[in-house]
Amino acid sequence: MNWKSLLRHETFLALLLVVVLIVLSFQSDRFFTVSNLLNQGRLMTEIGLIAIAMTFVIATGGIDLSVGSILGLTAILTGVFWQNIGMPLPLAAIAAIAVGTLAGFANGAIITRFNVPPLIATLATLALYRGLAEGISQARSVRGYPDWFYVLGQGEVLGVPTQLWILAAAAIIASIILAYTRWGRTVYAIGSNEVASRFSGLSVEKTKLALYTASGFAAAVAGVIFVSRVSTTRSDMGTGIELDAITAVVLGGTSIFGGRGTIAGTMIGLCLIQALKNGLSLAGVKGDGTIMLIGAVLILAILASNLFERSGTR
Amino acid sequence: MSAAPYVSLTGMSKSFVGVKALKDVSFDVRPGEVHALLGENGAGKSTLIKMMSGLYSPDAGTITVDGKDMKFASTRDASAAGIATVYQELLLFPELTVAENVFLGNYPRRPGGWIDWAEVRARTRALLDQLDTFDLDVDAKVLTLSVAQRQRVEITKALSKNARILIMDEPTASLVESDVQRLMAVVRQLRERGVGIVYVSHRMPEIFALADRVTVLRDGGYVATRDIGEVDEAQLVSMMVGRPIDSLFPKADAKIGDTVLEVKNLNHGRHVQDISFSLRRGEILGVAGLVGSGRTELALTLFGMTPATSGEIVLEGRTVAITSPRQARDLGIAYVPEDRGQQGLVKQMAIRKNVSMASIERFSAGIFIKAGAEAQRALDAVKRLSVRCRNIAQPVGELSGGNQQKVVIAKWLETNPKVLILDEPTRGVDVGAKAEIHTIMGELVKQGVAILMISSELPEVLGMSDRVLVISGGRLTGEIDRADATPERVGMAMTAHQSGEAA
Repeated sequence: MNWKSLLRHETFLALLLVVVLIVLSFQSDRFFTVSNLLNQGRLMTEIGLIAIAMTFVIATGGIDLSVGSILGLTAILTGVFWQNIGMPLPLAAIAAIAVGTLAGFANGAIITRFNVPPLIATLATLALYRGLAEGISQARSVRGYPDWFYVLGQGEVLGVPTQLWILAAAAIIASIILAYTRWGRTVYAIGSNEVASRFSGLSVEKTKLALYTASGFAAAVAGVIFVSRVSTTRSDMGTGIELDAITAVVLGGTSIFGGRGTIAGTMIGLCLIQALKNGLSLAGVKGDGTIMLIGAVLILAILASNLFERSGTR
Repeated sequence: MSAAPYVSLTGMSKSFVGVKALKDVSFDVRPGEVHALLGENGAGKSTLIKMMSGLYSPDAGTITVDGKDMKFASTRDASAAGIATVYQELLLFPELTVAENVFLGNYPRRPGGWIDWAEVRARTRALLDQLDTFDLDVDAKVLTLSVAQRQRVEITKALSKNARILIMDEPTASLVESDVQRLMAVVRQLRERGVGIVYVSHRMPEIFALADRVTVLRDGGYVATRDIGEVDEAQLVSMMVGRPIDSLFPKADAKIGDTVLEVKNLNHGRHVQDISFSLRRGEILGVAGLVGSGRTELALTLFGMTPATSGEIVLEGRTVAITSPRQARDLGIAYVPEDRGQQGLVKQMAIRKNVSMASIERFSAGIFIKAGAEAQRALDAVKRLSVRCRNIAQPVGELSGGNQQKVVIAKWLETNPKVLILDEPTRGVDVGAKAEIHTIMGELVKQGVAILMISSELPEVLGMSDRVLVISGGRLTGEIDRADATPERVGMAMTAHQSGEAA
């Protein structure tokens, strides 16, 4: 019964996406072209990677607001490790990703060890990590990366943007984990009833710690891709990206209270938002109007799925 | 006693999306009587009282109040007709005071529309005094009150609206014994004053002590209404279940084997102090004690939820330190918790997923869940424990209390426990399912499982246990063999005060 109503939400969302694509392609003939769509895929990869990890976090009933700051911190560190400390660039990127992952681990430790609500813990580290990034960068940007580095963010493999392959792989692996493994089962169980999960001998703390660490890792990888895409490093990178990711996740049908959600839903939600952003700007709608429309779509989608659920289960 | 009924319901029927919850049921309440409403979970009691209180509207049937036909469109209508309900989950606002809660939505006003707080407090005081509740402060916030006190506030609230009929839905389900006595006194007093009371309860002793008449429902249908003097407990039970129940506590003869678990001087905080006992294969060890005596805390310590601060746990001859439920599980200790909804089950999840939850590794190849094996085991468990459900994909939250409990037990049986701790295994479970759970316990001890059974229900402890441990104030105050376990001896030990407690 439960999975049927989920399926319905995603089907509804997919239909909405198709409608949006059709409507937008009539608005501007530059929208529905292979090159534009691939380019949009490039643009949504960073949010997408973060949203995948965020789906797990939200499905346990948690939230991670610090991902944008972790992204910024990783970006800065990549530049600093390479230019100021003189590490080889691959090593610098890996080291920066390690720090970002550690930042996620710190979130998890604060939440599980000291029982701080995730909203508050990651709100605090949002400020903390951003502050660190700004302190380290001293408001200077790092540029002039070697050409091979831009393959990641600007290049193509088999005609498709490099980072889109990474996003696709991440999405496939994540959806298999969430749907078919005992880790995925544990995530849903914690999100539905954390106390009962603990009473059933599930490793609630370890699972949460792993998820926030993974969320930090995803944000860090997104950070490196971001740098490669825009060719530069600034400390304000990724500001507000957490809200875009959360929007995609929630639009995709993941319950903010936990216990429900799929990666497929998140991916459709992500595409929908990106299509609206791009299509509307091509059609000449101003940025403010686009944001308002995305807000409206979010509310409508949630209302519609609630409606489905009511008629579906009872 | 044979006054005309104040409220009569005739031919009430109600369906919910295809399921007939109530079929042609008639029921009436006279002023100044206690009319008990009996039935297993799902028999239609709740549906009936919800129609009486205006929450549901019937598909068919008529409601007459004081001789006049009525239609209740809302609870407000029922309330205006003098019918008030005290629900099982008390519906008070914890942040407001007693007086504010009692007159909420109904405040006496002063000219100009201002609430007359002095009047609110004075009238609340008067109402509480009428119930001999002199110890309750009208200015206390409800969140500081005990369950029993909150219940009294609910009753006061009903009286403030001049209720002629008071519906009480399992009012003693979460009360300790002394509060039950006090509640019964209140009910008697209300009866004296001419209030008609609908009393829904599973507990036979209360029904025989209070009720004037009793109506039994089964599977949404009406079975019978009797004067209490005409029936005995066995008759009522068989009317509820629809078949005779051979024995209330089927104690199975199991061979008692070697010692499995030995606990020496176990401590955790104030509620587990210096506890020592041993448990053998095939044995049911009952744990009696008042609420708050430390029974559940003992179980939680053994289960690793609140690890012991000192003392020794010896499992099959090996000293073990248990620091998490996961570890307890791996050692072969299972715990069926007291609070089924919060601790025992993930209600939104399917039966299948709940059954496998504590032993998910056994249903996995690597990290992947073997869905086929999992479904097969769940099917077996549902069949073996006769869980009544549509299918194993049904969310457990939709099952009745007894069937939910069976799912929790099934979940832990999947771990092949050596020691099974059952905390209030039959609380909120109807008579039929209760007997089934007792039978399951009997089968388990025959297979050599050792059971530690915590229960507030003395007849259950005495009926099922081979030995009884009694706990009071966090300490062991008695260890009594089955042959010597009388209600008096156990009761004495339950209220025994330890000299060391004050220190």
